[in-house]
Amino acid sequence: MNDPLESQRGGTEKRPRQVFELDETGFNEVPPRYRRFYRRWKGTADSLAPNEVKCPVCKVVIRSRVELRAGDRVYCMPCMSRLEVIEENGELVAKVLY
Amino acid sequence: MADFLSNYSIQRWLESCPQGYLEDTVYGHRPDDHEPESMLDNDLLRESEIRSTVQLVAGERCALAASSGLINSAPDQASKAFLATQTLDEGRHVEIFTQRLYDLGVKPQDLEATITTYLNPHLAKFAEVLLEKVDKKDFVAGVVGQNIVLEGMAFSVFEMLQATHTETNPKFAHTLSGTIADERRHVGFGENRIGELIRRYPERKADVERMQRDMSKHMLATFHVAFSGSAAANEEAKRQMESGARPKTKAVYQGVDLSAVSTEEMEKVLASTVLGEFKTRLARIGLEYQSPL
Amino acid sequence: MSGQDDPHQLDASAFHRTVHSFEFWFEAVEGYLHGREYGVSPATQEVELSERQRESLITILCNYCVGETAALDASSGMIGFAPDRISKIFLSTQVVDEGRHLEVMLHRLGQLGVRDPEAEILQRANRSLLKFKERLLDFVHASDWEAAVLAQNVILECMEYTVFRYHAAHADPVTSEMLSGVVSDERRHMGFGENDLGRRLIVAPHAHERLLKIKRELDPLILDTFSETMGELGIEPASRPDLANEYLGAVARLGFQS
Repeated sequence: MNDPLESQRGGTEKRPRQVFELDETGFNEVPPRYRRFYRRWKGTADSLAPNEVKCPVCKVVIRSRVELRAGDRVYCMPCMSRLEVIEENGELVAKVLY
Repeated sequence: MADFLSNYSIQRWLESCPQGYLEDTVYGHRPDDHEPESMLDNDLLRESEIRSTVQLVAGERCALAASSGLINSAPDQASKAFLATQTLDEGRHVEIFTQRLYDLGVKPQDLEATITTYLNPHLAKFAEVLLEKVDKKDFVAGVVGQNIVLEGMAFSVFEMLQATHTETNPKFAHTLSGTIADERRHVGFGENRIGELIRRYPERKADVERMQRDMSKHMLATFHVAFSGSAAANEEAKRQMESGARPKTKAVYQGVDLSAVSTEEMEKVLASTVLGEFKTRLARIGLEYQSPL
Repeated sequence: MSGQDDPHQLDASAFHRTVHSFEFWFEAVEGYLHGREYGVSPATQEVELSERQRESLITILCNYCVGETAALDASSGMIGFAPDRISKIFLSTQVVDEGRHLEVMLHRLGQLGVRDPEAEILQRANRSLLKFKERLLDFVHASDWEAAVLAQNVILECMEYTVFRYHAAHADPVTSEMLSGVVSDERRHMGFGENDLGRRLIVAPHAHERLLKIKRELDPLILDTFSETMGELGIEPASRPDLANEYLGAVARLGFQS
């Protein structure tokens, strides 16, 4: 039996991940060397790039140097949470791993 | 009173500590400073440094428990705010001295075992006397025990250690200079705040003086065990200097060149300095020094 | 950019050690507190408040002070029975954060003309919040780590986080900037609580039932405080921020149904 979601994910994995150059966005709540990995969520007009996911605990946007995919593990330093990227309704969201 | 306490505000603390003398430091020292190879390569010297650093970690753990425990019984907001900064100072000291143990080669998984192995039992008793007062929410005795006796002892010990390490180990000396700067605030608060409370509650004097005597007794025993145990390492350091393996340096503390004297003499200098300081500070706040001897 | 600086490359234990350290705290607060005396930049100007606005702000700040004092007393008390050294060091940073919050709020009360903040706080304190504080300190005095973390770092911090963020977005410029710095601290406290409790409940699921009872007892106290603060801010129920989304979201992630 083929799980279309699984095969779709497999297809995505084969494609090389996009790489992103992270710039400073003015986020200043973590030590300077980590600041570019986070930014503030600007509200409903804001949107997430393929290398970004929102922290469900503190609502900060977590950024990665590469495109994120389901199964990735990321950290939210501002609230000290360990998270896993999962796919929910076709979108990537972060789930807290305690 | 309000003016005095405003000197101990968190705002003042932020400006002088994280934005002042700790700026651009990592674990309290310059990022490119390291423990000297001549010490790390010598088992006797390295073990001696581990032993003395364990006492610092234990002392700071006690100070962290005491300063945080006193916040609940502090009689006013300004004292609570000061003790909050002291709590963080003590938390930082625990962290930087623990980090030094790692720098000396202790593995994180062996940390607690190392502390248990090397902890001076008299220092543990010294801590017990203080923490008993803190547990009873006795603010006056707790602050005298913590900010006059414990911090007064720590202040002199750090100064002595700094004198012995300034030339031989700039990394550790730098770490100590930050902790000395912190201790200055702590002893200052103790004297100023408690002086006023002792005047208000003179009936507390006898009990507080008894605590000071007990803590001083355990402190002197701690010094005795510590210095006797470091005699071999002291001789080895002198031998290294004479053989040219490490540069000849002077370490002057209270007018005495520590690099040229025996550990008994070092103990005498430290004990008399600390007790002399106690006597002076206690007299300023209206308490009479009680000799443990 | 070196790979060493990529936080997502850290292993879990290195991550926990890093974020709970004094060094991390030190560099983090430096970012948003440097050059801001009592949490406010010298360039931020006061605007004139009407008497009604000033009165409301004083009442709100008095209640914030009750919450911050509760958090200060609780977080300092918790150091004595924290389960490990890393948590003790983290709590020592939280203690100074809470002390700073109290200090900047008392300072703001002074700017608003309050001469005796202690008396003013006594007079204006919300009864439910005082009751909440009493219960929180009961947990601390009983050295009940799980209940204290739930009450302080999950329930109280979550409510404050929601209220302060909302208030910061609508307050006068000085109060707003002061609160924004506080919000940045609350992220750490709230995150610590949720993650600590989450890890604990995985290994001790039997604690769940007991904590649920505590949550049920504290919920009305915190919701009443929230509602009263929103009333003081002049916000109609329909326009209030979604506390449910923030607080209930956090407790739902921990497996507590409301």
